[in-house]
Amino acid sequence: MIIETFFPQKKLTNADLETIFPDWSASKIEDKVGIRERHIAADSETALDLAFEASKIALKNFDKDLIDFVLLCTQSPDYLIPTSACILQDKLGLRTNIGAFDFNLGCSGFIYGLALAKGLIKTGVATNVLLVTSETYSKHLHPGDRSNRSIFGDAAAATIVGPTDAEKILEFDLGTDGQGMDNLILMNGGMRHKMEDKGSEWVDESGNIRSNNSLFMNGPEIFNFTIEKVPLVVENLLRKNNMMLSEIDYVIFHQANKYILNYLRMKIQIPKEKFYNNMLFTGNTVSSTIPIALKNCIDQNIITEGNKIMLVGFGVGYSWGGTIITV
Amino acid sequence: MKKKDFFCELKEALEFEDVTFTEKTEFRKIDGYDSLHVMMIIAFVDSKFGKRLTAKQLFSITDVRSLMDLIGIENFEE
Repeated sequence: MIIETFFPQKKLTNADLETIFPDWSASKIEDKVGIRERHIAADSETALDLAFEASKIALKNFDKDLIDFVLLCTQSPDYLIPTSACILQDKLGLRTNIGAFDFNLGCSGFIYGLALAKGLIKTGVATNVLLVTSETYSKHLHPGDRSNRSIFGDAAAATIVGPTDAEKILEFDLGTDGQGMDNLILMNGGMRHKMEDKGSEWVDESGNIRSNNSLFMNGPEIFNFTIEKVPLVVENLLRKNNMMLSEIDYVIFHQANKYILNYLRMKIQIPKEKFYNNMLFTGNTVSSTIPIALKNCIDQNIITEGNKIMLVGFGVGYSWGGTIITV
Repeated sequence: MKKKDFFCELKEALEFEDVTFTEKTEFRKIDGYDSLHVMMIIAFVDSKFGKRLTAKQLFSITDVRSLMDLIGIENFEE
């Protein structure tokens, strides 16, 4: 499995945030949420641009004519119509007799992408799938929303899934609960509620400026959701794959924030040395956190060939899912 | 759980070394209390009492006693 990543050049550091929000402590942000800086897309730089750059790197050592399906996970498309994956196919110079589409998911997106890629390959619809996750949540945030600006970073990851890789993607456990839609939502800008010229603003209980033109996240409810669902996904994955937790070499959850991950790790009783918790220089990059973590682990020999890796994503929707892969 | 143990464990969970917790301690008056501490309360109540508090309940908390009421005062003894 080839995985490559791309980050915008511009960075937002904790020191920058401390300057913007004087009662915000840079050291506290790093200590609690585990983030020192995050990459932020330039005004003219879109998720499609990031997807293009990550894909170009992934295709450096892979014959692009062998790609016969493009899956692009993003919630920041260039246009409502057409789907960004079609534009990406053209920009990359991929064959025209291939499939391509976007799918709209957040932090569970990479898991669903793997499920789609495996399905396409195992049914003979495709042979080599280019799975791209790309997000620019920074464009959805209100400038006065210090909580979310501290957490989210922009990035893209491009993963090439081939027939051998598909064999190494084991069983999945997927879940959906649309009752959680209100807890992580960008209310305006779709067909239900048009973007307001001058959207009304309010200050929430934590001092963040909110607007229906910007992303809203109910942090406590999202935390409650993860506490409830993630341990179940782990349990279901082990059962479906007929494995014990001790047989898993390494666990990579969606990198939401350090505190949430630490708590989940302790609750599920995953040994610290088998658990990835690192978003120090990237922040929470939504659908790209898992491939970024996978690449880092492979590059740093934290995981090696033959290792069994548990992957779990969870977030906006609510949508969640996990799988076990052999690298 | 004994109240004095609860106060000690709450103090440890919220990482406020210099604060002495009592039933009357008001969270928002503690220097440095912020939205991250709401997360810490969620984790603390889940791990110690197996109870899930909603965001609405959490934002209604004023002092430590109001948190104890949400957890269920029957869970505490002198």
